[in-house]
Amino acid sequence: MTDYWLSKLFFDLQHDAQLVTDYRADMAAVMERYRIKPEVRRALMDDDVAALSPLVNAYLLRFYFQVRGMPQDEFMARLHAMNPPHPAPAAKVGHG
Amino acid sequence: MAKLVGIFAASHGPIIAREWETMARDHRDKLTAAFDEIGRRLRACRPDLLVVVSPDHWVNFFINNLPAICIGIGDEHDGPPEPFMKKVYPHQVLKGHAAFGRHLLQTALDNDFDPTLSHRLTLDHGTCIPLWRAGVDPELPLVPILVNDLEAPMPSIRRCLAWGRLLRRAIESYPEPLRIAVLGTGGLSHSIGETTMGWIDETFDHACIDAFARGEERQLDAFLTEQLERTGNGAHEIRDWVIAHAAAGSTGFELIDYFPSPATLVGAGFASWKAPAA
Repeated sequence: MTDYWLSKLFFDLQHDAQLVTDYRADMAAVMERYRIKPEVRRALMDDDVAALSPLVNAYLLRFYFQVRGMPQDEFMARLHAMNPPHPAPAAKVGHG
Repeated sequence: MAKLVGIFAASHGPIIAREWETMARDHRDKLTAAFDEIGRRLRACRPDLLVVVSPDHWVNFFINNLPAICIGIGDEHDGPPEPFMKKVYPHQVLKGHAAFGRHLLQTALDNDFDPTLSHRLTLDHGTCIPLWRAGVDPELPLVPILVNDLEAPMPSIRRCLAWGRLLRRAIESYPEPLRIAVLGTGGLSHSIGETTMGWIDETFDHACIDAFARGEERQLDAFLTEQLERTGNGAHEIRDWVIAHAAAGSTGFELIDYFPSPATLVGAGFASWKAPAA
């Protein structure tokens, strides 16, 4: 289920370099500007990919964790841990 | 009257720009060869303007206002906003073609399509990576068509086929003797920010290529409508190829190259369609 205000936070971070700076300096203060639910706030503070994933568009999620400085391999590993990699493992190729 | 002189499609992906200089040489060479061939064919058809069909990666639109299709009808558009794009494609302003953009919009409305419009779009990596790598003249006027390929619900494949036919009609009814080319960008399979991220679905990609080669619209519609729900989310960008395909008359598909590109997370596909006879 899409969480509008979480999505809005991620969208705004993509568009506003000053907001990124502010967020890195004080995540909680920036969250106050959005109607972030308490459980979502906890997930943000914990960098909880699995909890945030169902709430936002996947492209916004990827961008957000780039802003957070999470290496791509770690981000992908956390996503993969949520589910079997995909329904046809034989067809899978490596990823960079 | 205007003429449709070339129809092309090419993958994109931010890593192509972000890691171009550090990518393994042999992989970069493969991407270079494919994009170069797109560029060579595009230049050979001497277009006066290029219609680029591309997704919007949360640059122009958000979920508070998300059109299925937006046509850029301005004299100018803004270049890519992503910092990694500015380094490789430092064009702050790109030329539009307001007259054809308005004609396309009016043709759509007259035929019971309801696109939204923009007098100034920002063209992100989805549009600009193929332009950059194919060496498209940055002075070539563009008419962008942005398609919602990212957030469900998205336009149906059937509707994208209809959009391609409409685009062809708009080109061929434009009164000025312009040479117009079409470039669809995105795809083939990839998976971004979801539990299968990194998966390149080669089975889907080869079947998709076969469906374009066969050309038949109902089969393509049935295949994609079913399979897009079963593969990675990035494959939804194939809608931009579908629009190009139908603009070409759903015939004359030629694969330039396909290879899984794990370094850039995409099933890299490059194609052209035979332009209609004069």
